Amino acid sequence: MTGELLAAMNYTSLSEICDEPAEVADALEHAEAERGHAAAFAAEGRKLGVDVANNVEARHWKRLREAFMRCITERDFMGCLIVQEIMLESFAVASYARVGKVAPGSLGRTFAAIAAEEEEHIAHATAILRTERGSDAPGFDEKVYRLHLDVMTTLARMLAKDCRDGHCDVCDATCVKPSLFEVSLSAAELRGASLRQYLKTLDMLGIPGEVTLAWVAQLPV
Amino acid sequence: MEVDFALIGHPESWRAAADVLAVLRGPQHTPLPDDEIKDILPWIPPRAVCHVDAGSVTGAKARGLYIDSFIPPDRLESGYVHENIARVREAAAWAIRAGAKIVSLGGFSSILIEGNFDHLPARHDTVFTTGNTLTVGFIVQGIKKMCALEGLDISRSTLLIVGATGDVGSGCARCLAPMLSRVLLSARNVERLRRLAAELHADGVEVEIATDLRQFSAEADVVICAASLASPSLRLGRIASHAVVCDAGYPKNLSPRTEMPGASVFFGGLGQVTGGLRFVPDFRGILNRHPFPDVVHGCLLEGMALALEQRFEPFSQGRGSITPERVEEIETIAARHGIHLAPLYNADGPVEDGRHCRTEWSRG
Ligand SMILES: NC(=O)c1ccc[n+]([C@@H]2O[C@H](COP(=O)([O-])OP(=O)(O)OC[C@H]3O[C@@H](n4cnc5c(N)ncnc54)[C@H](OP(=O)(O)O)[C@@H]3O)[C@@H](O)[C@H]2O)c1
Repeated sequence: MTGELLAAMNYTSLSEICDEPAEVADALEHAEAERGHAAAFAAEGRKLGVDVANNVEARHWKRLREAFMRCITERDFMGCLIVQEIMLESFAVASYARVGKVAPGSLGRTFAAIAAEEEEHIAHATAILRTERGSDAPGFDEKVYRLHLDVMTTLARMLAKDCRDGHCDVCDATCVKPSLFEVSLSAAELRGASLRQYLKTLDMLGIPGEVTLAWVAQLPV
Repeated sequence: MEVDFALIGHPESWRAAADVLAVLRGPQHTPLPDDEIKDILPWIPPRAVCHVDAGSVTGAKARGLYIDSFIPPDRLESGYVHENIARVREAAAWAIRAGAKIVSLGGFSSILIEGNFDHLPARHDTVFTTGNTLTVGFIVQGIKKMCALEGLDISRSTLLIVGATGDVGSGCARCLAPMLSRVLLSARNVERLRRLAAELHADGVEVEIATDLRQFSAEADVVICAASLASPSLRLGRIASHAVVCDAGYPKNLSPRTEMPGASVFFGGLGQVTGGLRFVPDFRGILNRHPFPDVVHGCLLEGMALALEQRFEPFSQGRGSITPERVEEIETIAARHGIHLAPLYNADGPVEDGRHCRTEWSRG
């Protein structure tokens, strides 16, 4: 749920640097949709008697927000799209889709539906970014790499099989990674699916596959 | 940038996969632990790993791509066939999008994609070759060379081919059978064995078939292992003590635990590029893990040779149609560009100086 709230905050911030009224409306609409996702997750939690954690101040989430805000400070619209839609949403789409497959009933349906919606966001952003890359591919790829080092390093730590540096606060009280097997999932699977989705999204942008493979291979485990 | 050829491969072992990932990570990052590699590899989608520049002794040059399907080495079994076909298709789609004029299908890639060319992007000018004709050529050359080194009279020998009815196995049978006194053919499907035996018999060759290696009436002194095994698991059992054994599998066929005291084992189907071979980034000795420089599997070299020759045609396609005439044709093309049989070696190292020929083959 925190991921959705973070996305809502990011889109709201993005609306503040948009020049065109249509872009402002678009960003605010996205922010609203992400808030809707967060509410849907909270509602599913209530059905199960679980208070879904929301902690945008957790170490990793905070870093991700800061990375996004650096793009806002630089009024770098494309950078914002890359961080939110290519990096953070790849992670969201892949992990929600996997949870959607294993979670029962309405919980599974909610995850699957949100994954599908996020995938649409990715497709929309990819079209914009592909055009942008068309005008200066080396400059664009360099920018993606710079943001990759910042954002994906944090995401990779968050997705590591075990949290080696102590409790990262992403989970509420105790780390859920060791218990994922109880719902036929594993931390390795969520990480693998997320990085695979990320590589495929980068492919859609037209960045050479051999280049992005090295980027991902160099992430921390 | 458009390329002349593409080579589609897959990691032959976990060690090979680990080495590729270590190069990608670069010296500044610690290599990934084995358990992480096993967790990560299955999630890597097929993609280009590096550029390959091939040179000819004629001065011709060809630009290519090495595309890895990243099939995990422990998932080559039939249980994963649909997933693996999808991976090879995806790798083929990369080659087409890169504008490759010819694509070599290395190792299991050809076995998987033959008859599964549908669902690929519009083909434009891309053609596919299994590369098996040149593989057969190098296996046969290797057998002849090893027999000469060991002083074995090939014309008096009994040849055993495991995986005899396959594309590579049947091609080797057609090339070698007429030179030998007797041929033993083995595979699992007895009907296909009968058909191949009848074909060879019609050419005057004495043939025996068996699905179980222990059923043959004679010991073989020349052996070719060309079965499509998912892992090195083949145990040959009874063969002549002085036998020459060629393991042509990719991955290897022979179990490291099989004991063949006195046998001369070598890895077959390999060629060497003498006109220059460059990987960018530098995957030399990583993607081609051999104790000699510029050695590559015959199946991959076929596409490279055809690209250097500017003959963009599906030279090897289908299964079981490799003839001695076609083998000679592709060998001539390869030789014209300085692509020759690689120096022979086995798991203990080079064999041509005679020191490592006789292997106990009982490591691991
Ligand atoms: N060195 C190189 O450069 C190079 C190049 C190309 C290919 N290869 C390798 O050569 C091998 C054969 O390739 P191919 O294209 O000829 O494959 P193929 O056409 O599919 O033939 C495979 C053969 O192996 C037999 N076989 C499969 N499983 C067997 C088993 N458990 N025991 C005994 N026989 C078995 C098959 O017959 P049944 O199904 O009836 O048993 C068939 O005769 C593969 O390992 C391939 O990767 C190496």
